[in-house]
Amino acid sequence: MTLLKATGLSAGYGPVTVLQGLDLEVQQGEFVVMLGANGAGKTTTMRAISGLLSRQGHIEFEGVDITKASPDAIVRAGIAQVPQGRGTFPELSVEDNLHTGAFVRADAEGVRDDIARWLAVFPRLAERRHQRAGSLSGGEQQMLAIARALMSRPKLLLCDEPSLGLAPLITQELFSVLEGLHRDEGLSVLLVEQNANLAMHIASRVYLLETGRIVASGSAAELSADDSIRKAYLGF
Amino acid sequence: MALFFQRLVDGLSYGSVYALIALGLVIVYRGTGHLNFAQGEMALFCAYFVYQFGEWGIPIWPAMLLGMGVGFLLGSATEVTLIRPIARRSPFAVFIVTIGLFTFLNWLDGAIWGNQQLPNSGVGSEQLTYPSLFPNDPQDQWLPFGVSIRYERVGILVLVLVLTGLLFLLFNKTKFGLSMRAVASNSESAKLSGIRTNRVLMMSWGLAAAIGALGGVVQAGLNGNVNLGLMFTVFIYGSAAATLGGFDSPGGAVIGGLLIGVIENLASGYAPQWVGQEMKLGVAFIVILAVLLVKPSGLFGTAKVERV
Repeated sequence: MTLLKATGLSAGYGPVTVLQGLDLEVQQGEFVVMLGANGAGKTTTMRAISGLLSRQGHIEFEGVDITKASPDAIVRAGIAQVPQGRGTFPELSVEDNLHTGAFVRADAEGVRDDIARWLAVFPRLAERRHQRAGSLSGGEQQMLAIARALMSRPKLLLCDEPSLGLAPLITQELFSVLEGLHRDEGLSVLLVEQNANLAMHIASRVYLLETGRIVASGSAAELSADDSIRKAYLGF
Repeated sequence: MALFFQRLVDGLSYGSVYALIALGLVIVYRGTGHLNFAQGEMALFCAYFVYQFGEWGIPIWPAMLLGMGVGFLLGSATEVTLIRPIARRSPFAVFIVTIGLFTFLNWLDGAIWGNQQLPNSGVGSEQLTYPSLFPNDPQDQWLPFGVSIRYERVGILVLVLVLTGLLFLLFNKTKFGLSMRAVASNSESAKLSGIRTNRVLMMSWGLAAAIGALGGVVQAGLNGNVNLGLMFTVFIYGSAAATLGGFDSPGGAVIGGLLIGVIENLASGYAPQWVGQEMKLGVAFIVILAVLLVKPSGLFGTAKVERV
């Protein structure tokens, strides 16, 4: 089943158009990775899907048109984004960050259970649950940002370069958590990365983005079999 | 010692008004990073309304609540119609707009209620003095050790402390408070968590103006009348209180306001020939300067330090 389907998606900042008619799909239960260089439009794609930017074209989620929907309606529909860089609330405690992630939910008990659950998945956050998020390390903040997004119980998780600025070991840890959620719970993920090698081996499908357009798509194996793509994007 | 106690209580009650204005400034600043220069004039506008409600025979407590309602509407309407469209284009311009609003509201007060102090028998006011929230006849006081502790002053202090407690609960124990703190901390991630940030900002401006309205009513009550210049110095003291306490800390705003009230009263009381009525503001500012030299973000403000 198609979860997310964007057709002819255009978006940008003021007079600058970054995305020029992008087509993109995420199937239920897929882990889709979008690769692209700096400035290709990866973050713009994420922000356009989440409704942070005004956009043209057509976006459907579970068959419902969300092209004109506001960011809060999109969260309620079941899309959560981990934004690039610091997706946390630095002045709020770890626990309040998680509560904020559950803002759209009304089931207090379920929220409590989920907080306990994500603190178990990320034990380092559990140790710091009463500390301000701003005092956490970069890796811990990224874990908190992911847990914050998961608190809304999304059907689709958008991750914008989670590896940015993190040590390789921390990045691996993050990816294995995401992979586990995808494999064990069937969470659908759309992840953008510059760091191809890490993302490729968990991807069900890969898109290559170049100056606001999709230039190639396919399984990880298909794309790494293509010599020119391998040289340009995968660097081996 | 007894005189000290009297000056302390007087200082705390004047400081309560500064605290209320500072609270309004802090709530707006935390949400949007804007300094609302019109905070004092919004409060004055509401204080005039409460005078008017009094003229219509409405008792002071319900009139005060209505006045806070007027403040809430004024504050939220200001955010939606003036601040939001301009902030999108230029954040700095917002400051200029609030100065414009400051001038406009003062003009509007004058156009509606005239430039004399009110109540005023000359314009046929029914009320003799501006209504006070607490008993304030000459005999409404305790006289321990021969000094005067007026009920009104104590009442105001208690009122402000209760309000501060309620705000603390609102900020820290409710979902709306959580959304206010989230928007203040990271507006984009707040949006991505499903918070309607526009609505939160509108409510924050409304809440700030409603709290300011209470400050205006209390100040007019202490003063005995309302006039066009009533909130000028109070606004300066209130800004100073917010700076002293830390511009992002509501608790700091209250403590800053009370401190400034106490400092100015003690200074002018104990050194009348050196400080007197004219220079007490100066003393307060010297103290603030000293604090900011040691702690630039204010007594309770958080320095923006983040691990990378």
